[in-house]
Amino acid sequence: MRKALMALVGTIGLLLGPALPVSAAGPIPIVHTERVQAGPYGITIGFSAWPVRAMQSLDLLFTPDDGIAGKSGEITVTAPGGAGEESGALVRHPRQREVWGLDVQSLPEPGDWTLTFTVRGPAGEGVGELRHLNVLEQPGPPLALSWTIGTLPLFGLIGLIVVAWRRTRRPAAVMAAA
Amino acid sequence: MMETTASTVARSPRNGLAPATAVLAGVFLSLAGFVWDVQWHTDVGPDTFFTAPHLLLYAGSAIAGLASLAVVLATTAGRRRGHPIDPTVGGRVVGVFGGAIAAPVGYLISGSGAASFLLYGLWDQWWHGLYGFDAMLASPPHVGLFLSITVTMVGAVMVFAAARRHRWGVVGTVAGTAFLVAFGVLTVAGLEALPLGAVDGVTVGVTFTCVVLVTMGGHVLDRRGGAIAVIALVAAMQAAFWWFAPWAARVYADAIGQPLREDTEGVPVIPAMIPMVLIVVGVLVEVLRRRPAWPTGAIGGAVIAASVPLQEAWVYQGGPPQVSDVLIVAAAGTVAGALAGSLGARFGEMLRVLAPKETSHA
Repeated sequence: MRKALMALVGTIGLLLGPALPVSAAGPIPIVHTERVQAGPYGITIGFSAWPVRAMQSLDLLFTPDDGIAGKSGEITVTAPGGAGEESGALVRHPRQREVWGLDVQSLPEPGDWTLTFTVRGPAGEGVGELRHLNVLEQPGPPLALSWTIGTLPLFGLIGLIVVAWRRTRRPAAVMAAA
Repeated sequence: MMETTASTVARSPRNGLAPATAVLAGVFLSLAGFVWDVQWHTDVGPDTFFTAPHLLLYAGSAIAGLASLAVVLATTAGRRRGHPIDPTVGGRVVGVFGGAIAAPVGYLISGSGAASFLLYGLWDQWWHGLYGFDAMLASPPHVGLFLSITVTMVGAVMVFAAARRHRWGVVGTVAGTAFLVAFGVLTVAGLEALPLGAVDGVTVGVTFTCVVLVTMGGHVLDRRGGAIAVIALVAAMQAAFWWFAPWAARVYADAIGQPLREDTEGVPVIPAMIPMVLIVVGVLVEVLRRRPAWPTGAIGGAVIAASVPLQEAWVYQGGPPQVSDVLIVAAAGTVAGALAGSLGARFGEMLRVLAPKETSHA
C-alpha cells in the first residue's frame, strides 16, 4: 500500500513537474529587431523567433525609445493583401511589463503582414507601419491532412448514427408491426 | 413516478449505477477542465502541456475510459461464464474483434471516445511542440480532442438512456445531454476554419447543436419535462462556470507566479458562448412535443442564431451587430434548426430503443 502511494505521489510529481517552467516568468529572449517611426515616436520591435513562420507562436515586444510611461496607443495587424485585420490596445507584455507586447501569438498564414502602430503621448499622436513582415510557410504536415485526421471521430460519430438509424424503427412502425 | 413491469428485470435497481456515474463524472471533469483551460489561454496565455487544467481534462477522460473498459471486460467475462447479461447496463451487447470482446454498446462508444482522446492528446502535445502555445481553439488536434470527448459524452447518454427505467437513468440522461450542450459550443468552434462567407459558421453550429440536443432531451424520456430539465441544468452550469472560469484562471496564475494579461476582459469564454435564450427552445419543445419537430426546431434555430451576436455584443460590451448580419445568421439558423429539430426527435427515439422493452403505465 505504501509503495502504491509512493508511486502515485511520484506519478503526480512527474506530471506536475514539467509545469514548473510556466512559473519561470522572465525577460523575453529577443533574436531579431525592426524599427518603426510612428510620428515623433521611434519604436523598436523585438521578435522572440526569426524568421517568423505561419502558425508558430512567438512573443513580440514594442519598445518606444523613451519608454511607455505617459503613452498609450493601438496596434493593428493586417493580413497579406489586406484580407483581414485585427486591432487592439497596446498593452504591457505580461512577462516584461516595462514595455508593450504581444505574448504567445501566431500569424496564421504566410505572406507579407503589416503592423500599424498608433501612439499617443506628450508629443502628440503618431502613426507608423512595419510593412512587409514576411511570414514563411507553416512547418509540419499539410493542413488538409491534419484536418482529415482531426475530424476522424466526426466520421465515426456519423457512422454510428447511420447504423443506429437503420437498426431502429420509428415507434409508429414498431406499433404497426406489433 | 413511472411504474414499469419489465420482462427483463434488472437484478438490482442499482446494477450499473457505479460505472455509469464514473463515466458521467469523468466527462464532467473534462468539461470543467476545458472551461478552465480555455480561460487560462485567454486571460494568462503561457502554457506547457502539463498544466493543472490539462491534468483535470485528461483525468476526466481517463476515468470515463477506465470505467468503460471495466464494464466491457466484466461483460466479456460474464458472457464466457454463461451469466445472463443485464441490458440496462450500457444497452445491447455487441461483439468486437470477431466476438472475442462482448461490449455493451454505450460503454463501447464512451470507451472508444476516451481511447481516441488519449491518441489526440499525444498528437496535440507534438503539435504544440512544433507550433507553440498560441490559443487556437480550431486546430486539428484540438478539434480531434473535442470530438473525442463528444463521442464519450454520447456514450454516457446512451448508457443512462439504457437504464431510464430507473430514476438514476433518467437523471443521468438529462445530465449527459446537458453536458453535451455545454461542451457542444466548444466543439463547433472548429467551424471557424470553414470559409462560409457572410454566414458565421460557429453561430450556425451552436444553433444546430443546441436545437438537436434540447429536442433530443424532450423526446428521449417517457414523460414531459426532459427538455426543460436539460436547459435548467445547462443554465445552472453556465452560471457556475461563469464564476469558476475566471476565478480558476486567476488563482492558478497566482499560484505559479504568472501575471494576467493586461488587456484581459475577464469574460468567461465558454459560458459566454452558451446561448442564454435556450429556455425559449426548451419551452417550445415541451409545449409542441406532440407536433412535428422540424417547425419547432426552425423557430428555435432562428431565435438562438439571432440571439448569439446580440449576446456577444452585450457580454463583451461591443457595438450593436449589423442588422443584416443578424438577419443572415437567423435565416441560416432557421434552416439548421429545422434539420436539427427533426434529427433531435429521431435521436431521442433511437435512444429510447436502447432500453429493454417494457410495459409502461406512464
